[in-house]
Formats: sequence, structure tokens, C-alpha cells
Amino acid sequence: MSAVYALYSSPDAAQRAVNGLYAAGIAQADVVVMSGEPFEAQPFAHRDSATWLWYIACLGGFVGLVFSTWLTRMTELAWPLQTGNMPIVAWWPNLIVIFELTMLGAILATVLTLFVTAKLPGRLPKLYDPEVTNGKILVGVENPSAATLPALERALMAGGAAELKRS
Amino acid sequence: MAHKWGMAVDLDTCTGCGACVTACHAENNIPTVGDEQAARGRAMHWLRVERYWEGDFPDVRLKFRPVMCQQCDAAPCEPVCPTYASHHTAEGLNAQVYNRCIGTRYCANACPYNVRFFDFFNPQWPKPLHLQLNPDVSIREVGVMEKCTFCVQRISAASIDAKAEKRELKDGDIKPACVQSCSARAMVFGDLNDPESEVSRLSRSPRGGKLLEDVGTLPKVTYLARQTQV
Amino acid sequence: MSEASSRKLSDDLLRPLLETSWRFYALVAFLGSIVLMGLCTWAYQMYMGFGMTGINNPIFWAFYITNFVFWIGISHAGTLISAILRLVNAGWRRPVTRCAEVITAFALMIGAMFPIIHLGRPWLFFWLVPYPNSRLIWPNFRSPLVWDFFAITTYLTGSVLFLVLPMIPDFALVRDRTTGMRHKIYGALALGWQGTPKQWHRLESAMSIMAIAIIPVAVSVHTIVSFDFSMAPVPMWHSTMFGPYFVAGAIFSGIAGLIIAMAALRKFLHLEEYLHPVHFQNLGKLLLMMSLLWGYFVFAERLTVWYGNESAEIAVLRVTQTGSFAPLYWTMVVVNFVIPVSILSIKRLRTIAGCVVASFGVLVGMWLERFLIVVPSLGHKYLPYSWGTYRPRPVELLITASTFAAMCLLYTLFAKFVPIISIWELKVGEQEPFETAKERSARVLGEARP
Repeated sequence: MSAVYALYSSPDAAQRAVNGLYAAGIAQADVVVMSGEPFEAQPFAHRDSATWLWYIACLGGFVGLVFSTWLTRMTELAWPLQTGNMPIVAWWPNLIVIFELTMLGAILATVLTLFVTAKLPGRLPKLYDPEVTNGKILVGVENPSAATLPALERALMAGGAAELKRS
Repeated sequence: MAHKWGMAVDLDTCTGCGACVTACHAENNIPTVGDEQAARGRAMHWLRVERYWEGDFPDVRLKFRPVMCQQCDAAPCEPVCPTYASHHTAEGLNAQVYNRCIGTRYCANACPYNVRFFDFFNPQWPKPLHLQLNPDVSIREVGVMEKCTFCVQRISAASIDAKAEKRELKDGDIKPACVQSCSARAMVFGDLNDPESEVSRLSRSPRGGKLLEDVGTLPKVTYLARQTQV
Repeated sequence: MSEASSRKLSDDLLRPLLETSWRFYALVAFLGSIVLMGLCTWAYQMYMGFGMTGINNPIFWAFYITNFVFWIGISHAGTLISAILRLVNAGWRRPVTRCAEVITAFALMIGAMFPIIHLGRPWLFFWLVPYPNSRLIWPNFRSPLVWDFFAITTYLTGSVLFLVLPMIPDFALVRDRTTGMRHKIYGALALGWQGTPKQWHRLESAMSIMAIAIIPVAVSVHTIVSFDFSMAPVPMWHSTMFGPYFVAGAIFSGIAGLIIAMAALRKFLHLEEYLHPVHFQNLGKLLLMMSLLWGYFVFAERLTVWYGNESAEIAVLRVTQTGSFAPLYWTMVVVNFVIPVSILSIKRLRTIAGCVVASFGVLVGMWLERFLIVVPSLGHKYLPYSWGTYRPRPVELLITASTFAAMCLLYTLFAKFVPIISIWELKVGEQEPFETAKERSARVLGEARP
């Protein structure tokens, strides 16, 4: 079997199960948790929360800024056409386009990074249960070794799950 | 020094006859839109004679003034065109490039003089009227803006001739259609950068003023004030 | 929340997707035919020439530009609710957030059509895109219309992404509840969403960043739309106040549109348990505030013009206050200010029905306001010889009507295929409030004391 898991009705029960799995010697990265909504209160929800997303968004904005400054200035100098009494490189109007493309750069960088780090689009893994979207929280381990299996099962049941599942 | 084309119109001499308007139509292939479209406000007179009546009969006073594109040095129609169809040339003209125009009509809104016109339909010249078309001027299709160009085709032709004959352009060499046809010789065209040209002299006249000067467009047409009352 | 209530929530909010009545098909057919008629009218206009409209010299912009500004204004609903209320942690936004964002996305798409519809040569609209080309010409970055292009592109991209990203977990929910073709399609749309803490955290961080980014973009978009007018030396257009005035007006009309959409959804999709009267009351208070703000801007602008006594501007002021546009102007004042303030400031009248009545009035009033900014000024510029009048022609009326039908149609189709209330966000709102250990022990021990 490739995974063992259990479903819990409350986030506290899921946290107990996760703690039990850690005590049984499973590394943090190997414990799989899935839920139909994000949770704030429990520590298990704060795994993997370190992210560079904010910096990447700023970087994307900077890229947009540089690109738009270059684009407006380059195009105005490439074919210099006099309009009104304005200078050929007109900074006030250019600032508006620069602002818009800066924000666009930040937005696109954010979305791209989200997709990459959340591994979207991706295939649904073998370890998944449709009950997750029904309000249950899934806690499990993929590819458990035969030796640790009994300890795992005890930890999962101690959390208060109704039953153990395998996939 | 580069030329800076300008005009002067003597409102005292102008009789309001409208020959200039007709000549402009003929020279620049301006379509007549028909009575129904004209009633809806779509007549295309690149040059028009504006008329204002003041007072009640029998003390009516009449003011009239030929108004064409003022070729403003600070033209509000130029920065707003998204495709550079309206821009300023090195000789001071406001150029309208028909091929680049996509018809946003922003330039017409920005123009305080209302001298920009839109082709609402494809112009028609039923035979034999097509024979009157001037081959030096392109026909505009539906959806583009057009306006007075100071007869740029005549300016170009005269400049090319002068260059070919290796001589300078003299004052009076170039006459736009309106200037040429004015029976009272009220309109003058020339180089404002040449201090000796007649238009330069007239622009310095104490009778001289500009239309809507306070809007800040820096127009290049000087109107010499009328001194007699009609 | 308990498992039973979580299941019921999902059931209720998925019902519109899974059950379809004949009324849906009838509505789609009706709206679709109006939209089709609008598209045919536009094709007719392009074929026969732009002269089929009522545009003339000097009124070169009228209905289409009015519609453009109107729809872009409506699109500010979503940004306000989704982004601003998210950032200030207002919990009551949760059932409302997707309704609002959908309005934004579709209103932007419809509004962005109008700069193309109003062109003399619309097949050449792509010349505003800066790409290297054989014409050897770039767009003119000094033109407010080019600013429009960039602003609307950025806002549309941002809004669509802001709408679509939180739909992913809900698509996963639908995937898990359906079978067959639906399961496959929603499975593809869910992009393999699992719901691990990492994914949730990344999603919520991305949403926070987008919320912070989209607010200045929204403000800038309608400011730039206002620059289409204020950059031209036209009497009563060349006002320094247009930026904030238009943004306030946009948020105003956006909230009105949102209230109407929410009331319709509540009635037709039976969402009474999720969209409560308090939601409408809160939005009604916002609408009241925006109505007062709008009144303030209009008063400030008109007082300045009247007091300044500049002849060209006075001519325009006079024609709207007492001249040929006066009936439209005073109607606008009544439906935009008098009626909404009267209804919404009295708590007993601030019911769902009251808010909807006020909102319909506001939509009419804000459309009139845009019209009264565009047409009277253009008809009365500096040279009285060139003053003119405008009357809309059938093509403009048909295309305008079809855009309203298009909005309703797109909204109806969206509510059929995507849960119109964000299910996972609603569930988060129902969670037990987050207590620290200190708070919890105080609560538990406090209860234990006799």
C-alpha cells in the first residue's frame, strides 16, 4: 500500500494526530495534511509558511518599472515627433504608463510564483480523499515502511479518527 | 533658418463673400455632405466664414471672420492623438496623417476652434464630378479626421521647384487656395521666420490679434481688427 | 463549524450549479438574443459607416464614451469589497466578495469594448499596442487614450486573476462532488488543488499581495479615464478635480450595482441564509456615504465655476442647470442624491428593498452624470458659431441596451458554472475565533468559577 491516512472532524483532533506522528519519528516534511479550508489556530497550518512571495512581488514590480521606463523613453526617442509644446521625452505622461506596468509586473510575478510554489497545475496525488472538501481534515503518511506502520496507526487512531484508511 | 508658415487675415477688407471656402473645397477634395447631413451638423468646411449678429433690427451689427486651422504652436490636438496622426512638422504646420488616424476624434474635442472634421461616410463624387478632383491631394476614407493644411501640397510643390531651380523661396511664391481666390486680397500667407515678409509685418501690426489667444494655443493666424462698422 | 452545517453550506451553494430549471434557459435565450442584436448592430455600424450614429460636429463623443466611463465605473465595486474590506479584515465581506469581483471583471470587459466601438476605424485598434512593427511608428505615450489602454489592461488582468485564484479551492469542491464530464472539467479547472497548508498559505499570501496591488490600480484607472476629459481645453472639462471626482463616482455606482446583483442572487438562487439584511444595511451605509461624497464633489465643482464667472464655462453651466439639459440634470440630482440620502439615512427604510430602489436610482443617475459631463461641454465650446446639439440614433440605443443585457447574461452564466459565494472563505468565517492560550485559560477557568 502506498499511504495510510485518517480523516478528522476538528482541527484540534488533526493537530493531536500530527503530534502523534512526529512522536512516532516521522519527519515534518513526510506528514501530509489536507483540508478544505485554511486554519489559523493550529500549528500544523503554519508549516511551510516561510515564503519569498512578497520579495518576488516587489521584484516583479521593479522589472515592470524598468521595462516601462525603457519602453516609453526608447519609443519617444526612436521616432521623435513634436506634439503640442511638450518635450520629446515627456516625463509626466510617461510616469502614468510606468506606474501601470509596475503594478502589472508585481501582479504577474505574484501569480506566477503562486503557481510554481503551490505546484499548480498539477496532478491530484494518490493520497487524496474527496471528504477533504466536505469539511474533514486528512492527516497521513505516504509510503510508510512496514516497521513503523503499527506506530503510525496508533498515532492516527489516538487523534480520534473514526477509522483508518489505506490507499 | 527653417520656414515657419503663418497667415494674416484683414477683417476690414474681408467682405465675407465665401470664395475662399469654395476654393478650399475645390483644391482639397473636400466632399459636400448633402443637405440632410449638413443639417445634422456634419458639413466639412475646412475654412468657414463665421458670422455673428448683434443687436435688434434696425440696429443690427454683423461680425464675420474666416476661420481655418490655426496651426497652433502649442496645439492641444497633437499630444492627445494616440497614433501620432496629429503632430507638428519642422516648418510649424500641424500635420494630419490620414493613414495613421484610427478615428478616436479626441483631437476634434481638444481643438478650441472646432476646425477638425470627421469623415462620417465614404465621400462620393457621382460622375462627372470626379473629374474635378485635385490629383495632388488624397481622398480621405470613412473614419478619419481631416482639416486645413495651409495647402501643404502647394507648399511642397513650391519648395521642390525652388530646390530644383537652386533658388530660395520668395515671399509670395506660395499661395494657398483661399489666399489665391480672395477677391479683396484680405488673406496673406508667408514665412513668419522672415521678418521682411508681408505676413510677418502684418503679425506685428497694432491692429493684429489672435483668435482665442487666452486659451494658450499659440495660433499662427493673425486677424487684423475691423475698423469700420457694418 | 460542525460537519452537518458545513455539508449544508456546500449543498446550498452548489445547488445552482447542479440543478437547472427552465427559467435559466429562458433567461439566457432572452438575454442572448439582445446581445446578438447588439453585435449585429455594431457590425451594421462598421459596414455602413460611423455616420449611422448621432455624433456630429462639435459633439464628437456621446453615448459610447458615456457608456465606457459608466461601465469602468461600475467595475470599482469589486475592488472596494474584495480588496479594501479584505485588508481591513471586515468579516461581513465573505459572502459578498465573489459577487463583487465578478461584477468588476465583466464590467471591465464590457467597458473596454467601447473605446473600440467608438473608433472611426475600429479594425485598427491594435495600433495602440506598443510592438515593433513595419509601420515604424509607436503609440503616443502622451495621449490619455494610450494611458487608458495600459490602465485597463493592468486592471483587467489584475481583477480577473483576483477573481480566479480563490475559485480554485471551490473548483476542487465541485470536482469532489460531481461525476462524469462535470468531474473532468472541474478537475481540470481545479488544477490539482489538494488543500495542503503550503498551498493555502501561498494562496492567501498571493491574495493579500493582490489586494494591496489592486487598490492603487483601481484608483489610477478611473483617474486616467477622467484624464481623457481633463487634459483637453474644453470648458468644464479642464478641471483639476476630475480625478478624485470620477473615482468617488465610480465607487458610488459600483456599490449600487453590487447591491442590485446581490439582491437578485438572493432572490433567484435562494441564498437568504447567506446574504442577510445586515449585509445590505452595511452596503447601504456605504452607498449613503458615497452619495454624500458625490454631492460634495458636484457642489464644489459647480460653485467654483459659477463663482469664477469665466464666460465659456458659465455657458456650459447654464445649459445644464437651466437650459436644454436641465431636465436631465435635475433628474440626476434627485436620483443620485435626494432619493438615496432620504432612503438610506433612515434605518427603517434601509431594508433590502429600500437599498435596491436607491441603487437603481443611482445607476440611472450616474449614467446621466457621465452623459452630462461629455455632451453639454462639447456642444458649447469657445466659439458659439460652432455650438451644436446631439440626439442619439438607434444604433447607439441598441448597442447601449445590449451591453446591459450582456452584463446580465455573463453574470447568469457565471452563477450557473461557478459558486457565486466563495464557499471556502465562508467556511473560514464560520471557524471558531482564534484564541491565544491565555485567552483560552481565562475563558475556561472563568467559566469553572461558581
